Amino acid sequence: MTMVMDKKTGELIKGLYDAVIHMDEDTARELSQVILKEGIDAYYAVTHGLMTAMEKVGELYSNNTYFVPEVLLCADALYAGLEVLRPHIKVGGAETKKQIVIGTIEGDIHDIGKNLVKIMFEAAGWVVHDLGKDVKLQRFVEEQNRTQSDVVALSALMTTSMLAMPKVIEMIKAKDPNVAIMVGGAPLTREIAKSYGADGYADNAGEAVREANEMLRRLKDKTVRS
Amino acid sequence: MTSAERIDALLKGGSLDRVPFLSFILGFCAKNVGYPVAAIYCDPEKSLRAQVWTREQYGYDSEPFYGYASYGGFEFNGEIKLPDGEYEQAPSHKRFAVVKEEDVEKLELPDVKTAGMLPLAMQFSRLQDEHGISPSVVVGGPFTIAGNICIVETLCRWLIKKPELVHRLLRLATDHVLDVARYWIDTFGVGRVNIQIWEPLATNQIISPKMFEKFVLPYQTEFHQKILAIGMKYILCHICGEQNRNLPYWASVPMGDPGIISIGKEVDINTAIEYFGDNCIIAGNIAPAILQTGTPQEIYGLCRQAIEKGKHAPRGYALMQGCEVPVNTPPYNLYIMKKAVNDFGWY
Repeated sequence: MTMVMDKKTGELIKGLYDAVIHMDEDTARELSQVILKEGIDAYYAVTHGLMTAMEKVGELYSNNTYFVPEVLLCADALYAGLEVLRPHIKVGGAETKKQIVIGTIEGDIHDIGKNLVKIMFEAAGWVVHDLGKDVKLQRFVEEQNRTQSDVVALSALMTTSMLAMPKVIEMIKAKDPNVAIMVGGAPLTREIAKSYGADGYADNAGEAVREANEMLRRLKDKTVRS
Repeated sequence: MTSAERIDALLKGGSLDRVPFLSFILGFCAKNVGYPVAAIYCDPEKSLRAQVWTREQYGYDSEPFYGYASYGGFEFNGEIKLPDGEYEQAPSHKRFAVVKEEDVEKLELPDVKTAGMLPLAMQFSRLQDEHGISPSVVVGGPFTIAGNICIVETLCRWLIKKPELVHRLLRLATDHVLDVARYWIDTFGVGRVNIQIWEPLATNQIISPKMFEKFVLPYQTEFHQKILAIGMKYILCHICGEQNRNLPYWASVPMGDPGIISIGKEVDINTAIEYFGDNCIIAGNIAPAILQTGTPQEIYGLCRQAIEKGKHAPRGYALMQGCEVPVNTPPYNLYIMKKAVNDFGWY
């Protein structure tokens, strides 16, 4: 269905976008309801209003304009809008959503970074299987086996906990050699990630979705070439 | 010089033979001597023994201490869990005292003689005193303590939506750590107790410099001013994480004359000297992750760089890890820090 952007639709979508950027949960909810009443396509509103806004929030976070409190409240506005719009998204078409399994590694109870990454992936339209924090290594393997996700993302804040990463990466790859695994967290670096056998590394939540897509592209290129 | 003489000279601005080597080291000591990591936190005698023996083995100058990053949670009626798994190094939160808004009003100031792990911390300090070690106490800064009382995500949301609740938490946290400081000074005497104040939650990886100014700075400043006024021997203020944009504010917090500012890998030693060099001894900043996963050559190189940058800092410099030595650090990697200080640290 082609969307003819009339002025009112444009204003409403922009209003929804602004509501997320400005952390305004109530306005996001209200405008989402108005959008439905006006007969505007819910999927269009989600992608062009909410998701685009959250992409911008990711940029603002990466360039140190927004910090964790701001991102959390932007996400609250996003979810308020999604709650209204999602049930009205027409299911259909051949589009398959990308999936990610995510969790904070065993021994580590810090999950704020992981939760920010989760928000970014959900905002980008991925299906997120969030295992929470202090996730036993075998749980990652089981969940990947169950969901056959495109990406497994591991988070750690503690240097002692990050030692579990090479072990779980090996365990996951032994069962599913094709899955892409990315890691993140304060004590990690790209070099450490590589030494652990990870396929990707994100320095912060704002970079995570882009890194995941680039990682999948790199792995696809590698498969094609071989 | 003995380690005690070296630390004394460092604090008094006297002549030093070499750069002191301080270690932020706890769980590693337990594993090093065959104790469970939890012993560092639940058994003061074993904790002291493990730390004394490890210090003897590796030759660093800092003295044993008792503390952990999630301090405050248990003391304010939350629950913590002692480390017991292969990948755990310190007590962690099991249940937070504050989950929703109504929980804030129910909070009361803890009794410092009985709350949480404080009886064990005091037992440890009595052992320090008995063994000729300067009694010390470790607390979080008020903002870190607020984040140990209240789920951090909730705290972050309240910073914008319900700042009055955050101020209430910060007021309680500040009053509590003042009570702790007073208790230790009353017990051991004016000028005899040193304090470590860890403030990792104020990192710019969580909050903006603007939020630091509004929520961290006033309470941190008040705390430092008051404990210096009641006779704290010296402050070691540990500010790990990305704190560069907070440094102009940190530089205005009284640290003592001198204090010790302990920085993580994110803050360059030259930058630290620029902001703190006139008032503080600079300590840092070898990354724990590199200690754990790096080669001895890498670590030696980093130590050399750090020593060369810090050696002539106006009020002094000590080689130190940027945060806690990981439990599973290869022993040689810790030794190599001592080797570096021996090779490059002499005056």
